[in-house]
Amino acid sequence: MRKFLILVKKEIQELLTPQMLVPLVAVVLVFVFIGKIMGNETAKIQAPQPVAVVDLDNSSLSQTLIETLGKNNISVDRYSNKATSQVIKEAKQKNEKAVLVIPSGFESGIKNFIPQKVEVYTILSNFSFLGSRASQSVVVALAATNQLISSQLISQVAPNANQVALKQPVLTNDFVIVGERQANVNPAVVSNFISSQTTFIPIILFLVIVFASQLIATSIASEKENKTLETLLSSPVSRKAVVAAKLVGAGLVSLLTAVVYLFGMRYYITGLTGSATSSAMDEATKTAVAQLGLTFGAFDYVLLGLTLFLGILAALSIAIILGSFAEDTKAAQGLIAPLMALVLIPYFLTLFLDISTLSPVLRWFVYAIPFSHPFLAAPNILLHQYTNVWYGILYLVVFFVVAVFIAAKIFSSDKIFTLKLKFGKKKGSI
Amino acid sequence: MEQAIIVKNLSKTYGKIAAVSGISFEVAENEIFALIGPNGAGKSTTLRMLATVLTPSSGSVSIYGLDIQKDANKVRQIISYLPEEAGAYKSLSGWAYLKFMAAMFGDGSAKEKAYVDFAAEITGLKERLKDKVKTYSKGMTRKLLLARTVMTRPKLAILDEPTSGLDVVNALEIRKTIRDLSRQGMTVLLSSHNMLEIEFLSDKVAIIDRGKIHDIGTAEQLKQEYSAKNLEEVFMALTQRQKVSV
Repeated sequence: MRKFLILVKKEIQELLTPQMLVPLVAVVLVFVFIGKIMGNETAKIQAPQPVAVVDLDNSSLSQTLIETLGKNNISVDRYSNKATSQVIKEAKQKNEKAVLVIPSGFESGIKNFIPQKVEVYTILSNFSFLGSRASQSVVVALAATNQLISSQLISQVAPNANQVALKQPVLTNDFVIVGERQANVNPAVVSNFISSQTTFIPIILFLVIVFASQLIATSIASEKENKTLETLLSSPVSRKAVVAAKLVGAGLVSLLTAVVYLFGMRYYITGLTGSATSSAMDEATKTAVAQLGLTFGAFDYVLLGLTLFLGILAALSIAIILGSFAEDTKAAQGLIAPLMALVLIPYFLTLFLDISTLSPVLRWFVYAIPFSHPFLAAPNILLHQYTNVWYGILYLVVFFVVAVFIAAKIFSSDKIFTLKLKFGKKKGSI
Repeated sequence: MEQAIIVKNLSKTYGKIAAVSGISFEVAENEIFALIGPNGAGKSTTLRMLATVLTPSSGSVSIYGLDIQKDANKVRQIISYLPEEAGAYKSLSGWAYLKFMAAMFGDGSAKEKAYVDFAAEITGLKERLKDKVKTYSKGMTRKLLLARTVMTRPKLAILDEPTSGLDVVNALEIRKTIRDLSRQGMTVLLSSHNMLEIEFLSDKVAIIDRGKIHDIGTAEQLKQEYSAKNLEEVFMALTQRQKVSV
């Protein structure tokens, strides 16, 4: 046991090098930096959006429209006697998001029940996610204006009529059912909430699996290349202990990486959706989500953590076998490619599809890939499909044990030195 | 004098390629025994089998009465192996590397500190032992590795090309260390393609080429037997190779 712990310490010392730590810290700093920028930009977008309005009607109804825009997060820059082209030019200079033109005869037309066209010139300066929010604000504000004016019209025509019944004769009362639980809530709100809570899990898992696999495969290849492995395996130390120490060392470093990525990604996601989510997530939604049981309890976190850790161990166990084939570190990078494919397939499939609806052959193919289970764990836990989670854990344990057994067999024989795949210059090449 | 190593009909094949073909030799206790031959002769494969790193395809090897296959773990406790052109863990300091390797041979007792102190003395690196191995020159690394190999005072040290790629000064220092330790009771099995070095260092020499041992004897015996001025000429005579004039 003492030798094993010393081996683990050596592995960690060898893995936690400045070459490994600097890029890791850099990635996290980039996440934090982008998160900070996104947070600031999101706050800016939620501030009133500057919009130029050319009022060619100068009526009380056009005034109502302008006031309604002001009440709906639009900061109005009003013009009366300027040509539209000139206003657009000025709006661009002032970095305004749109130009609305209220036509002459707007009020009289509406009062005569003739729909009036308000020209909306949206000034697109970029195509980013945040950039599109400004035009959405204008659409929302105009919809509110329509509601207001139509209410006024209905009042004129039928003062005693039920406006709600006239405008929206069919109403929906949304319920969401998860297992045996039910809540009075819009499904889109629930989906948005779950996405905001779990989107980063597969991304981090993907990054950590790729990172961990490269770490251990490169470590073995480097030991073979430097012949430190020959020295080590000729000393009186159990070869199983050497394999186990490599797995534990790389596993611990990967966990550290996962925590660091988690911190960075959380900061990034909060920056991206933070204020928007918090405003959308009113108390009613929180209550509904809790009613549906779509929150992680302490046990759920343990279960999720266990599945993710087993996923990382499975990756490490495959990588240790693949690393055994590598003659040098360059070859190790190439040998990891099949493992990357095994991670990418479930990553994309679970991101875009419902695995349970796939054809049986495809479904079992996905289930046979060990990394599918960590990707499926979070949704399964939220949907209380614990049996699936436990099957996944069992499969990962069996997969890990078998892979470690194979790795130990390789290390216990001279195959560790004779298995060779090299992706370098071919013999005879210059 | 007892036999430290008894090798009988030892072979190692990779598919259809025979790296070592039925070689036999014996090494007496406290002897420096050298395998000499060109690159690809089978020297390193033989040493790796004796170091329990590779498994023989056939034949047997006994080291101090222990079978290298059946008693591999016991053999590892009495031998120490220095692979050709080996490195050390680059992220560790020289001290940390020696301590780590001492722990692999030790049991947590004070012996481990004695191993490290002895190794530190042999390296002559002094304060540089606190520096990371990656900052060492090739000569410094080789001295560190030789010190690591002999620090446990193994019964048998297996040294594959111990002075390969070193300058004259470093090579001389390493040869002297090997000689001194042998006189203190350590059996040494080494390989080299530097035949002049072997002539100076070894008690007994085996000439190996294409996986087969062609002759064994002291350097003087071999030179007399083949009427040669040095081991290089003995080798040429034994393998019927033509000397290329430069």
